[in-house]
This record gives sequence, C-alpha cells and structure tokens, in this order.
Amino acid sequence: MSKNGYLQIHDPLKPKGHAVGIDLGTTNSLVASVIQGKPRCLVTDEGERYLLPSVVHYGKDGGVVVGARAKRLAAEHPTDTIVSVKRFMGRSPEDAETRKLGAYKFASTGGKVVRFEVAGGQPVTPIEVSGEILRALKRRAETHFSAKVEQAVITVPAYFDDAQRQATKDAGRLAGLEVLRLLNEPTAAALAYGLDKGSQGTFAVYDLGGGTFDVSILKLVEGVFEVKSTGGDSALGGDDFDRAIAQRVLEAMGHTDSAPSVVAEVLAASRRAKESLTEAPEVELTVSGHQQVIRREDFEEWIRPFVQKTGVVCRRALKDAGVTAEELDGVILVGGATRVPAVRRYVAELFGREPLGDIDPDQVVALGAAVQADLLTNADRQDEVLLLDVIPLSLGLETMGGLVEKLIPRNSTIPTAAGQVFTTFKDGQTGLDVHVLQGERELVEDCRSLSRFTLSGIPPLPAGLARVEVRFQVDADGILAVTAKEQSTGVTQSITVKPSHGLTDEEIEQMLLDSIDHAEEDVQTRQLREQRVEAERVLMEAERQISENGGLLAEGERASIEAAMARVREVAKGNDSHQLKEAIHALDELSKPFVERVMNQALTKVVAGHSVEEF
Amino acid sequence: MKCWNCETDTSGSPFCPTCGKIAERPAGTSHFAIFDLPLAYDVDVPALEKQFRELSLRLHPDRFAQAEAKERRLSLEQTTALNEAYKTLREPTRRAFYLLKMYGVDLEREDTGTQKDMPFEFLEEVLDLRESLEDAMAAKDLEQARKMATDVEARRKAALTEAVDMLRSLERSPSDEAAVKKASHALGRVRYFTRFLEQVEAFEEEALS
Repeated sequence: MSKNGYLQIHDPLKPKGHAVGIDLGTTNSLVASVIQGKPRCLVTDEGERYLLPSVVHYGKDGGVVVGARAKRLAAEHPTDTIVSVKRFMGRSPEDAETRKLGAYKFASTGGKVVRFEVAGGQPVTPIEVSGEILRALKRRAETHFSAKVEQAVITVPAYFDDAQRQATKDAGRLAGLEVLRLLNEPTAAALAYGLDKGSQGTFAVYDLGGGTFDVSILKLVEGVFEVKSTGGDSALGGDDFDRAIAQRVLEAMGHTDSAPSVVAEVLAASRRAKESLTEAPEVELTVSGHQQVIRREDFEEWIRPFVQKTGVVCRRALKDAGVTAEELDGVILVGGATRVPAVRRYVAELFGREPLGDIDPDQVVALGAAVQADLLTNADRQDEVLLLDVIPLSLGLETMGGLVEKLIPRNSTIPTAAGQVFTTFKDGQTGLDVHVLQGERELVEDCRSLSRFTLSGIPPLPAGLARVEVRFQVDADGILAVTAKEQSTGVTQSITVKPSHGLTDEEIEQMLLDSIDHAEEDVQTRQLREQRVEAERVLMEAERQISENGGLLAEGERASIEAAMARVREVAKGNDSHQLKEAIHALDELSKPFVERVMNQALTKVVAGHSVEEF
Repeated sequence: MKCWNCETDTSGSPFCPTCGKIAERPAGTSHFAIFDLPLAYDVDVPALEKQFRELSLRLHPDRFAQAEAKERRLSLEQTTALNEAYKTLREPTRRAFYLLKMYGVDLEREDTGTQKDMPFEFLEEVLDLRESLEDAMAAKDLEQARKMATDVEARRKAALTEAVDMLRSLERSPSDEAAVKKASHALGRVRYFTRFLEQVEAFEEEALS
C-alpha cells in the first residue's frame, strides 16, 4: 500500500461537503450546484428566486442586509446601500470607472483601495461588500443542502486584471469559502452550452453583463475547451445604458449636481425603463413628480457608442484567435444586457449569424461554474472535460525610458511563466527596482501598475556582474506571482509580490477576525431583541396588575415596583442584553409578594366559580 | 530523475512508471522532448494538437485541485512547460527560432553580439526600409505603408523558407557551422521583418481610429 493510503481519503482538514459554482455579478448573483449529474441554480432570495440582487445594505445598528430586501432600502438609504460593487473591485479611488455617475459616498482615506462610508461602523471596502454577497449565497446553499458548503468556483469577467482577480479571491476567503478556481465567465457559459449540446467546433461567447463586457473565442474538441483569445472591457455594461438614460432625465429635470437619493431614484427608474423598452417601443418614466417619455429609438441612439465599442473588441478577439466570423460554428449570448434588442441585432450583424440564447443568459454562467466545481472535486468525472483558458492582458516590466517590456503576451494559455535576467548597471549596486505592469500599451503610464518593489541584498559587485532573474508565474486562476532570484553568487533570494493596490494579507486576516467578532455580535443582537420583547411583556403585565389590583399593594410597594419598572425601561433603551435580563429579574423578584397576594385573591374567586385560566 | 514518492527512476517521463504519481521533470527538458519528438523542423501539427489535449487532460492543475501541495506544484510546473512547448512548436516561425537556439544561437536575447554578426547588405536593407516607412508615416500615407507591408511579408516568407532549408540540412549534418550561420542570418531577417509588419499594423490601427 502506498504511504498516501487512507489518510488522504479521510483527511480531516479538508471537509468535502458540496462544492458550488457562484456567479458574482454586477447586478445579480447566483449559486448553482451539480445535483444528480445536472447543474441547477439554487433558490437564493425571498419569493423562490434564483437571482440574488448584488445589493448590500448597512444598517445603523450594524446589521447587514443582502439581496431584494437591501434593494428596497436603496431609495431611502442610497449611500448606506451599495449596488454594483463589482465595478469597484481592485480599483483605486482615482479610477475613471469609480467616478462615473452613482449614489456612493466614498471615505477619503487617501489609500489605494476604494472605501464606502456606510451607517453603523467603519468604511467598507468592495472586497468586504462582495464578501457579504458571497456569504449570503453560501448560507442559501447550506440551507438547501442542510450541510456545510466550503468550496466554490467563483466566476470573474475574462477581462479582469490581476488586481480584480485577487480582490475576488480575497472576498471568497472573507466569506469563509475555499476558492477552488476563478473561472472566466464566457468560459463558464461555453462549458454549460458545450456540455448541454455536445458541440464541437469554434464558438464566440459575447457576454455583456451589468458592468463588464467580455468576448471569448473557444475551440471545443473532444471535451477540451480551449480558449483561443479573449477580449473585453471591464468598465462597460448594462449599467452604462442606465446611466445614458439617467443623464438625459436629470438634464430634463434641470439637475446639475443632484443629491444621492435623487441619483439613486433616477438610476433605478432608468433601469426599469431600459427593461421595458425590450418589449415596448416607448415607455413613460416617472420620478419624483417628473414625467418623461423614453422612445426605444432614442435609447438606441444613446447607447450606440457603447454597443459599437463591443464590436471593436470582438474584431480584435477574432484576429487574435486567427479565425474569421464566417469560420465560427456559433455565437453564444450571455448576460442580462444582451436582452436589449439593439445589442442582439448588432451581434447578429457583426458575426453574420443569429446568436444562440436558449439557455437563460442570467443563469448560464452559474451553471457552468457548478459544472467546473463538480469537475474539480469529483474524481469520477475527471476524464471527461477540461478547460484551457488564457490570460487576457499582457504582463510586463518597466524598462529604461518609461517603456514596458512584455514578458507574457495576452492570450497566452495559462498556467504560464516567463523570466527576464537583469544585470546591475553601477559598481557595487545592491538594490534593483522592479515595476510590474499589465496592459497592451507601450508606455508605463498607460498600463496598470500591479506592483513596484525593490530587490535588495544583491552582493556588491562590479557593474554588470550581478545577475537577477525576475520570473513571472501565472497560475490557473490567472493570478500572477513574481519571484526574483539573485544568481551570481549562488545565493538565491526569492520574494513573492501581491498587487500594491489590493489589500495586504494582514488586512484580510483582520477582516476575517472582524467578521468572526461580527458573528458574536449577531448572537448578542438577537439576545438583546429577545430580552426587549420580554421586558415589554413584563412591564405590560406589571402595569395591568397595578391598575387592576392596586388595592393589594403594601405600603411603599408601589413606589419600589415602579422604580424597578423605570429601571427596566431605561436599560431596554441600551444595548446590553445581560443588564436588561438582570433588571427584568429584579422587577420580577420585587413584585413576587404582590403577585402572590393577587394569586391568593384569585383562588378565593375560584371558589366563587371562576377558573384559574381567566388570569 | 527519481520519483519523489516511490524513488523509481522516472527517466524524464511526466508520470512515474511505477506508482503513477505526477513526476518532476529535469530542468531544461526540451520542448521536443515534452512531446516525445525528435529534434527536427517538420512537425505534424494536427497530431501535436491532439497530443497537447491528451497531455493537458492528465497534467492540468484542474486534475490536482484536491491533491497534495507537492503534486499541485508539479502539475503547475509541468503544465506551464507543456503550454510553452505547444506554443513554440505549433507555430513555424517560433519553432524555427527555437531549433536555432538548440544549435547555440539565441536570437531572442537582446545582446549586440548577434546583431553585429549580421551581414552588411542586411543593414543596408534595414536602413532603406526604415526610411521609406518613416516617410509614409509622416505623410500619413496608409496606401504606401500597406504596399510596403505586402512586399515585406513576401520577403519574410522567403527568408523563413531559406532558414527552414538550412535547419533541415542541419538535421543530417548537425556540426555544419556554415549552415548554422546561414540559418541565423535568415532568421535575423525574419525577426526584423516581423517587427516591421507590427509597426505597419500599429500605424494602420492608429490611422483608422
């Protein structure tokens, strides 16, 4: 028997449970799992809905509400209710996407991470907000299975850069999930379609969601889904369509700088108008007394620049994959925004064929993620299917003159690695600056800065003699690790860097600890609520007895009972459930002799034909 | 190379022949060795694709999601090497450059040694082409730039054919220094022409946007 026998099967550190697939969307999120061999979406919100609105509300009492209930609180508490948080994942406060029209209140921390100011506590980061959504989905799945769910495949837009991927993975950790894999959304959709239809050939997946656009060209052969190229825009989606309407409405209302509550209301009304325009040629939009007719024709004109932007991206993806539109075997539509008729028409024209959309475009990504989660955890299924994905954006290093030298070109199949050897240019130089960038442009300032660090401890040698190898390794999640090794003296130094504008491991740990504290707080909150109900009941009862049987009170008793009652009322206003319990107990004890007298009188009345139950 | 699990000699294969565990590959295993191919220019690409899929199915990190850390690391390393080998061998130009490297000339490296080694006529050709392209770009003459691109593409193809002929002859007589030199000159031209075409493409994109 091999030394890895039974221990591996019964590894107590690795609870299996059910592995789920999660589509963490800009507008809605879903959780799905393979049940009896078929992927199915699980009910996640009230009213038996599969879609959980990606909305998180922070209450004044520190409570957190997720989903449809949170969405309903958005109009009244716009800045305490975070919508479309995905747009902010891995982004800095200065980012153009961060500054688009929206009802958010940003905390001015000066850091590189966006923080929202919300009621009931410290400002929250997009990672924490996403963590709440994931936690809600995890709980729903656990309710469904009546068992723990600890492993998940989470989908991300194919065009997410390293920082956005890292942020998503951190959100998963925060929610107590082991993230088995970050899966690109179009690839997930192709997996759901490909398996369903048993297709072979080359397909394009056009995925226009709430806040992101992706296109992927895939080749399906004998169970292997090979992504040939991918392209996208992680700041383009249906939300832009809403904003296009909202801007016109705000203009018509004469608003230049509107309050968050107005912006939130207009955005919500614009979204409903957009959805209605899928069926109706025109809709009447009503918002705080303002009425405006929106015609489909005008709407299509307003969104044209966004739709055309997707065309440029598609053509480049086709070129990168080395195929023409005619050579495709099919085009798959994914994402809620592909319901807009103008988008469908545009895609049909662009690819010269009617796109496929027979799997619900809202569900298809989550279903694919569930299949992948099953493939990763279920050894019986491992020979059937494999996904080979690519990195969406080139990775490089800063060189002389502010230029970027690409080490890993975009659309390289992952996992992949590349290295570059640097030499020192000064005698005795002991440090080397390394600047890691992601993007397609030539100049450093046009690319995304992922990390900047100084490699120190190089032995002092004449210029050009020290040799430092910087190595990039991209794993199957598309996440980069950079290591640098000093080779000249045989002394090898290795360091691994994380994106500088993400959260540090320490910050994530702290958040994890906080969320555990939070759980304790939750228990306290519940106990407090129970004690308050009890206090109310006791007070009502005492008042009734005093008013009905006041004659039975001994001298001074009324004053001391009323003092105890006042104490209960006072403590009930506070947040200490323990103190409240004690106050209730004190009132109870103090009233005991009086209550006994009332009981005795009642017993006397029983003789007169009354039952005890009447009390 | 010994198997980390059962200590059998794995003789460079991806899995241990005895216990079946994923194996460690010796550093510097060639792209050809990964696909069990001889060191030769001609590769059956459809067969290569098939082999790539089969190896991926067995080696990919998805297959080791629940395995021990050691196996997960080996899977990552082997798949990274497999992807690199596939990318290089699938594409004729990359394959030619890689083969030349196996004969000791690395044109990817940015040191001046290989540049200086290029014949004088080539430097003349480069200066000539560069000047014409700069003129076309200054005049925003997209038509002229495209015409040059067509011509340069033909020269690129011819140079690649020349290099491939040399690489094939090297398979028969590997120590033919003159053939290595000829192949390296031809591929040096291929490299320059490729960059030139990329420049035209960037100019085209800029002009159209």
